[in-house]
Amino acid sequence: MKLIIKKIFFTLPLLSLAIALFAQQPEQILKASGSPANPKVPMSWNRYNDYAAITEVCKKLAKAYPDLVKVESMGKSFMGKEMWVMTISDFKTGDPSKKPAMYIDGNIHSNEIQGSEFALYTAWYLAESFADTKHIQELLADKTFYIAPTINPDARDNFIHAANNANSPRSGMIPVDNDRDGSINEDGYDDLDGDGHIVFMRRKNPNGRFIADQDDPRRMISVGVDQQGEYELLGYEGIDNDGDGDVNEDGEGFYDPNRDWAWNWQPNYIQSGAYKYPFSLPENRSIADFVMKHPNIAAGQSYHNNGGMILRGPGALEDLDTYNAQDVQVYDALGNKGEELIPGYKYLVVYKDLYSVFGGELDWFYGGRGIYTFSNELWTNFLMYNKAGDSNSQATQYSFDRNLLFNDAFVNWKAFKHHQYGDIEIGGFKKSFGRLHPGFLLESDAHRNMSFTLYHAYHTPKLSVEEISEKDLGGGLKEVTAVIANKRLMPTHSSQDLKYKIEVPDMISLTGPKVIAGMIVNNRDLNITSEQKNDAENIRVPNIPGNSTVTVRWIIQNAGKYSVKVDSKKGGIASRSN
Amino acid sequence: MNNISKTIVLLMGIFLFYGETNAQDYSNYAQVSQRINALSKSYPGLVRVKSLTKTFGGKDIWMLTIGSGQTDQKPAIAIVGGVEGSHLLGTELALGFAEKLLNASSQDSIKALLAKNTFYVFPNMSPDATEQYFSQVRYARSSNARPTDDDRDGKINEDPFEDLNKDGKINWIRVEDATGKYRSNPEDPRSMILADPSKGEIGKYLLFSEGLDNDKDGNFNEDGEGGVHFNKNMSYAYPNFVPGSGEHMVSENENRALLDNLFEMFNIHSVITFGPYNNLSVPVTFNAPAVAKRVISGYYEADSKTNAQVSELYNKVTGLKDAPKSSATGGDFANWAYFHYGRNSFSTPGWWVPKAKADTARKEKDLKIEDQVSNYLRWAKSEKIEGSFAEWKKIDHPDFPGQNVELGGIDPFVLINPPYKLVEGLVKKHHDFILELSKNAPSIDLINIKKEKLGDGLTRVTATLINNGALATQTKVGERSYWVKKISVKLIPSANQSIISGRKNQMIDAIEGQGNKTLTWLIKGSGKLSIDAGSPTSGSKSIELAL
Repeated sequence: MKLIIKKIFFTLPLLSLAIALFAQQPEQILKASGSPANPKVPMSWNRYNDYAAITEVCKKLAKAYPDLVKVESMGKSFMGKEMWVMTISDFKTGDPSKKPAMYIDGNIHSNEIQGSEFALYTAWYLAESFADTKHIQELLADKTFYIAPTINPDARDNFIHAANNANSPRSGMIPVDNDRDGSINEDGYDDLDGDGHIVFMRRKNPNGRFIADQDDPRRMISVGVDQQGEYELLGYEGIDNDGDGDVNEDGEGFYDPNRDWAWNWQPNYIQSGAYKYPFSLPENRSIADFVMKHPNIAAGQSYHNNGGMILRGPGALEDLDTYNAQDVQVYDALGNKGEELIPGYKYLVVYKDLYSVFGGELDWFYGGRGIYTFSNELWTNFLMYNKAGDSNSQATQYSFDRNLLFNDAFVNWKAFKHHQYGDIEIGGFKKSFGRLHPGFLLESDAHRNMSFTLYHAYHTPKLSVEEISEKDLGGGLKEVTAVIANKRLMPTHSSQDLKYKIEVPDMISLTGPKVIAGMIVNNRDLNITSEQKNDAENIRVPNIPGNSTVTVRWIIQNAGKYSVKVDSKKGGIASRSN
Repeated sequence: MNNISKTIVLLMGIFLFYGETNAQDYSNYAQVSQRINALSKSYPGLVRVKSLTKTFGGKDIWMLTIGSGQTDQKPAIAIVGGVEGSHLLGTELALGFAEKLLNASSQDSIKALLAKNTFYVFPNMSPDATEQYFSQVRYARSSNARPTDDDRDGKINEDPFEDLNKDGKINWIRVEDATGKYRSNPEDPRSMILADPSKGEIGKYLLFSEGLDNDKDGNFNEDGEGGVHFNKNMSYAYPNFVPGSGEHMVSENENRALLDNLFEMFNIHSVITFGPYNNLSVPVTFNAPAVAKRVISGYYEADSKTNAQVSELYNKVTGLKDAPKSSATGGDFANWAYFHYGRNSFSTPGWWVPKAKADTARKEKDLKIEDQVSNYLRWAKSEKIEGSFAEWKKIDHPDFPGQNVELGGIDPFVLINPPYKLVEGLVKKHHDFILELSKNAPSIDLINIKKEKLGDGLTRVTATLINNGALATQTKVGERSYWVKKISVKLIPSANQSIISGRKNQMIDAIEGQGNKTLTWLIKGSGKLSIDAGSPTSGSKSIELAL
C-alpha cells in the first residue's frame, strides 16, 4: 500500500515537470528580472522536498552543470543516508579548494525543513543564473560555495512522512531513553485519529481556563482571572503509553544536534540536548571533518527557523570573550546589511537576544575554526501582512490562514473518545504552519536570504599582489618591495583565529632570484621592518586585514625575472611577476 | 585473514617477550597484548577481551570484562591505565589488578566477589606513546601517532628531539649563557633549578631538552613526532589549541571508542584512573560556589564526602604516604569521569618518589630547596638505584658555536615510574584497595514489607527501599545526567487488582550509602502482587506478596 502511494507521489512531480518543460517555449517567455527564466533543472519553489527529492535535485544540478556543480557525500547519517554537499564554483577558473569559500547548510533541526529549500534554491540559482548574470560569473570565479541542503536527513524524512507537529522531532533518530527508566522511545506522540497530524487535545470542562475566540472559534483563548472558562487543554495528541503517569515524555530522539559542537561543549545536565560528547552524532562529525579538510571556508551560514533573525554568536554568556571588537565590526557590517536585504529580520546575538546555549554549530564554526558564521532563523510573522507583529500574533495566524490560505493550515476540532481522558476533541494547526513558510512566500524569502549569503560570501577576502617595486642597493643587491592587498571586508584570519593560531599564517613567496634576506614592512615611509631570519623566500604574515594591505620586502642578488605569490588558506592565491 | 594476522602479531609478541627484553622491566605493547591474551585463554569463563578500536598508530585499545554471569547487570568498577603515555606504571597497575584477581579466582571469596561485581579493565589508553619507552630513542611521550603541527606554524613534526650523544635516551642540554634563567642547585649541583631574581639569585644557564633547533625558530624540539594526548583530549575543562590537545575535544579514536563504550555501560558506579591526578591520597574539598555556577567546577558536597571516605580507605589499605600535590590539568580523563560521566571518580599515580632522608653517616643535611630531581637523586642513592642520571658532559652544539654546552641530567621516565622491582608490591596494594572498594558498592534491597487491611478488599502496601552499600546508588552530579539510570520501582498487580493510590512505575533518585526510602500503595483486590526495584549500578530485588 505504502509503496504504491509513494510511487504516485514520485510520478506526480515528474508529470508536472514535463508539463512545465513543454508548456511554454523559451520564445514565449519574458524573463522576470533576477530569476532564471528557462532553467535546465525546472523547480517549483512553493513546496517541500523529502530526502529522496533533495538527492535528485543535487544530482540533476551536477549533471546539468558539470563545470559549476559537483556533488559528494560528507559521510553517512545514523540511518545510513548520504550527507550530500554540493561544491559550486567556476571550475574553469581555478581549483575550488583554493578559493575563499562559503559553507551553507540547513535543517540541523529536523522540523526546520525550509533551510534545505533555501540552501537548494541558492545552489540552483547560482547554477541557473551563471550564463547570463555577470555578478554571479565574477562571484563563482573568485569563490567556492559548499552547500549541504539537509544535515539531518533521517529525521527530516520522519518530520515529512510521519505524524508530527511543527516542533517534532527536532532531534535526530538515534533512540534515547529520555525519562531514564531503561525503556527507549516508549512514550511518544500518538496520532489518535490516524489523520497524519499531531495536533492538540481539548476537553469540555466548566472549570477549564479556556474559551473559544469569538472572532475565530477554532482558536482557544484563556479567560481572565475573574471569568469562567469552557475548555481545558490537554497537550499534544497522545496517551500515557508506559503507564508512568506522564504523557508523551519519551518519543523520537531526544537530543539536539545543535548542542553537539566542540566549542565550550557541555554535557546534558548543564546543556539540555547535548549527546555523549562533541561530534558524537555521526552527521555532525562528518561535517566537522569536511570543514577541517576545507580550510578555505571563510564564511558560514546555517539555516534554522523561525523568528526572522540573523544570529551570530556567542551562544553562551560564558563565551563573551571569544568575540572581540575587531570581529564584531565585521559581523555588524554583514548583519546590518542583512536587515536591509531581508525586511522583517533582525540582526541579533544568540546569548543575549535569544538564549544562552552551549555547543551550537555557529560557535564551533567561529570559536573552533575562526569562520565568520551566521544562523538565519527563517520565517517571521512579519511576512504574513508585511508589518511587524502586534501583541496578538496568534490571532494574526488565524486570520492569515482564513484570508490567504483558505483554512488549509488547520485541522478542525473533532470529537474523539480517549481511553484515559474520556470525551475530548482534537484539532489545531498542521506541522506545515507556524514555523514553515506557506508556499507562496517560500521563493521570495529564499531569494532574500540567498542575497544575504551571497553578500556574505562576496566579502570573504580577495587578495592581489598590488605592487612590486625595486630599489638598487649597490654591490649586486636589490631591494624588492611587494604590497599585498585584500579588497574585501573580511581579514584572512579572524581575531579568534589569530588568538589560537587556528589556521596557518599566509605565505608571501618570492621565486626566481637568490634571496639574501626577507622582512615584513611595518611602516614603509619610516622604514620600520621585522626581519624573518629563517626561510626568507617565504615570508609568513599572521594576517592580511580586510580592505587593507600588507607590505613585505626582500633583499635579492642577481635580479632578473621573478614573481611574488601570496598563498592564504582563507584568502586564496594571487601572484604577479615583475 | 584477520584472525591469522592477529595470531602472528601475538606470536611476534611472544618472541619479543622471550627474545629481547628481560621480564624485570615494564611491558611493551606486544607483551601487554600477550599478557591479556594469556588471561583470556586461562580464564575463559571469567574474562572477555575486546578491542575497542585501533589508534592512529594501529595499536589495539583493549578492554577486559571480568566477572561471572550477566556482567552488565552487576555493579561495576572501571579501571583505566595509561591515560598518560609516559606513566608506564598505570598500565602495570591496571593489568596487574586483572592478573592478580583472576589468578586467585579459584578461591571462594573471589568467586563470591565476582558473582556480585563486574570489573572493566582498560590497561592502556596511550599505546602509541608508551612504545617510546621501548624504542631506540627513549623519551617521555604522551602523544599518539597522529602527525600534528604542535607549534601551529604550518609545518608538521619539523623540530623533534635528537639523541645527540647516541645513548638511546633524551636528556638535557645546558648552555652557559648570561641570558639563562637556570642555576645549579647548591644542595646538589647536578640538578638545574630556576633562579629567583627576587632573592638575589642569578641565572647562568639556558636549559633545553636534548636536540637541535631544526627550524631555527628559537625553540627546541617543540614540534616532534605526534600527536594528541589521550589525557588532554577529554571534554571537561578542555584546553583549546595547546600542543597535544588536538583540533577539538574527543577527536581521537581511543577517546571516542572509550566514551562510546562507557556511555552504554550503565552499571559502572566508580571509575579508577591510574594517572597523574590524585584524589585518593588527598580528597577534593567541597567548595560551595563551584557548584552554584551553571558550569560546575567542583564536587557536590555528598560526592566530596564519598571521595573523603574512599580516600581514607585507600590510605589505610595501601599505606602510601607523602603524595605530592596534584591538580587537574584540563581535558583529563579522571575529572571527565566525574564531571561529564557522572560517576564516582578516583585517581592516583600509584607511586611517587618518596621523601629522601638525609644519610647522617655521610653527614648529609635535610634538603631545604624544593627540587624533585635532587630529592630523587638522594633517594636513588639510598636505594642503590644506578644509571638514571647522565653526568654533564661537554659537547659541541651547532646552535651554540663557541659556547660551553653540556649534555646530561635526569633520565626520562624515572620521576614517575618506580624501578620495576617495586611494581609487584604496588600492584598488590592497589589490587587490595579495588577489592575493598568493590565491597562498598551500592546494593539495593526491599525490606519491612507491610500489608495493612483497610477493609473491603483494600490494602495499604508499604515497602522500604534500602541501599546496603556504603556508596550512594548514584552520585549527586549523576542524578542530573540522563546517562545515569535512576532506580526503577515497578508494582505489578495481578489481573483482579487495581492500584487506587501510588504509582505503578516510578523512578527514584539517589539513595545515599546505607540510606533508605519508604514507598506506599493502596491496592484493591486480592491475590499475588510483586514489586521489582533496581538500577544498573545497584543491582535489583524482586519480592512477591499475597493480599
